[in-house]
Amino acid sequence: MKYSDILTSAFTALRRNIGRSTLTMLGIVIGVGSVVLMSSVGASMEKVILSQISSLGSKSMVIFPGSNQEGGASQVFAGHDSLTFEDIEHLEKLTTIDTIAPIVFMPGPAKRGREESSAQIMGVHPNFFHNQKMSAAQGRLLDAHDNDRAARFALLGPDVKEELFGQSDPLGKEITVGDRSYTVVGVTKALGSQFFQNADDRVYISLSVARQVTGQKYASYITMLATDSFDVAFAHVEGLLRYRHKIENPKNDPEKDDFIVRSSEQANAILSSVSLGLTLFITTVAGISLLVGGIGIMNIMLVTVTERTREIGLRKALGARPRDILLQFLAESVALTVTGGMIGLIFGLGLAWIIAQIIQGFLSTYLFAISFPSMIAAVLMAALTGVIFGISPARKASSLDPVESLRYE
Amino acid sequence: MPSLISLSGLHKSYFNDEVETAVLHGIDLEIDTGEFIAIMGPSGSGKSTLMHILGFLDRPTAGTYTFLGENTAGKNDDDLAAIRATKVSFVFQAFHLLPRATVLENVLLPLLYHPGIASIDREKYARKAIASVGLSDRAGFLSSQLSGGQKQRVAIARALVTEPALIFADEPTGNLDSASGLQVMEVLEKLNAAGHTIILVTHERTTAEFADRIVHIKDGLIESDTSSHKRRKAGADVKLK
Ligand SMILES: Nc1ncnc2c1ncn2[C@@H]1O[C@H](COP(=O)(O)OP(=O)(O)O)[C@@H](O)[C@H]1O
Ligand SMILES: [Mg+2]
Repeated sequence: MKYSDILTSAFTALRRNIGRSTLTMLGIVIGVGSVVLMSSVGASMEKVILSQISSLGSKSMVIFPGSNQEGGASQVFAGHDSLTFEDIEHLEKLTTIDTIAPIVFMPGPAKRGREESSAQIMGVHPNFFHNQKMSAAQGRLLDAHDNDRAARFALLGPDVKEELFGQSDPLGKEITVGDRSYTVVGVTKALGSQFFQNADDRVYISLSVARQVTGQKYASYITMLATDSFDVAFAHVEGLLRYRHKIENPKNDPEKDDFIVRSSEQANAILSSVSLGLTLFITTVAGISLLVGGIGIMNIMLVTVTERTREIGLRKALGARPRDILLQFLAESVALTVTGGMIGLIFGLGLAWIIAQIIQGFLSTYLFAISFPSMIAAVLMAALTGVIFGISPARKASSLDPVESLRYE
Repeated sequence: MPSLISLSGLHKSYFNDEVETAVLHGIDLEIDTGEFIAIMGPSGSGKSTLMHILGFLDRPTAGTYTFLGENTAGKNDDDLAAIRATKVSFVFQAFHLLPRATVLENVLLPLLYHPGIASIDREKYARKAIASVGLSDRAGFLSSQLSGGQKQRVAIARALVTEPALIFADEPTGNLDSASGLQVMEVLEKLNAAGHTIILVTHERTTAEFADRIVHIKDGLIESDTSSHKRRKAGADVKLK
């Protein structure tokens, strides 16, 4: 029997029993569909995060107060006081640190007349804009001169500007934060969200002003750029802060420190471990669903072989060799799983596309992405499932005795 | 020229759970190309068993079966399948058509296993076979939409399509009313007249009488072997044992 005939026979048989074929494929459709969906979402997320990391560059570092034990960054804003401005003066002297920018959070809200904004108020050192690679879309950024003389200037993120000023020109206008008023000197370029916080919904004022207003003796967090190698800078920062905070931590136990140093390199590493986790998860889901789907297919194929015993006897009487029958039934189960896989692929991609449209509404950097390797792997796995779970029904069919089969009722 | 089929001392026993059921007890038989032979006997006498062995669906337990001058003892399953694909074909009492396939698809089926016929010629052969049983207007029908007599004619077309050396028909009228049974027998008669060798298995005398030669089987042995000269075609070479 020719291979093309085997293939045609397989699809003809599936079409003749379309209802059962559809039900049988369902497991594979769901399995492959969910794998394709999740790998697409994973690829999209990876792109979002990677674009943020690469936008900051590999030398970018952040120090948060608090210890890892307490949950890292989410605990940061609760007001730990471990990163003092004295610490920062010493950190500045490290040759491995290029620029350092402490940040002090200030209580809001920012208002303009009766318009009130939900923006976060951040007192930042002018280095901050350099570290974050920020620039002004309108007017100018805050500079060292503003900081030195504690000028009551404000720099708005584009979302705040939109909220408080709409289409009108904000430059030179006043906003109030607490009981003080500030003159708007600029609007930053849109950054989109950074690590799932909206970086455009912020009001920046000079660090010196924020310190005066809050009386805070410590930084809420610190951003830095390493001069050269991040690794060396990281070790220096860690060593210096442990020395100053009298922390003995030769084993680098993150729970003992009262600060957390993060870099985009590390975020990268975390990301790749996250995506490894995601891959493992997807593989497990794929494995389980294909196993379940495969067992379903094996059962249905065994039923099919029994039901078609007379057909098998007939085909043998017409000259089919055992291997012709084997290949025919194997082709049927593979055709089932591959068709199911293709349908699952289309559904998975469709769903991922719809999800991308929804997420884009609030995360503009989220783009619909396709993971070709996982798509190909999913369909190949489906085909392999067809072979593995189709082989025993096909063997059974091929070994039937023609005379007995023709007599089967 | 050797006989088409030559059997000597053919025995067949079935073994189920070490219980031996001896069915054929030493059959000697010669059949030549072009014959229309009926194997007759009561139910359970071993007619079908003999036909299955002659048609390479089963093997004898003992004795020799020479087909076209060749001893078939050494042939493996694939060899037998190849002979079934090219040299012999069957018409069964139960028709054995694929119910969800059309007449044309059913007749095309044997060509899948025939190595000598090119894919593009298949439909031509199938339509010719369907025409020869008078069912051209039903070619696109599902076989389940046909009457019993029409189904058996489709089965005959399917048996013809590979142009085999011989056609076996096992109780081909057994599931038919007498009118359609007659029609089917007339088709077989016509095929024989056109040169096809036909081995008919039946327990009905009226059906057997369409053949030129009747071999009676009883309890696994040949009881009689008679030629009926009234239907003998000129030039047919029938050997009587
Ligand atoms: N697979 C088998 N196992 C055991 N006995 C069988 C088997 N096939 C047929 N027989 C027996 O062989 C005898 C002949 O059967 P069969 O050739 O079908 O007879 P017929 O076609 O003449 O009616 C019967 O008694 C039947 O029961
Ligand atoms: Mg019988």
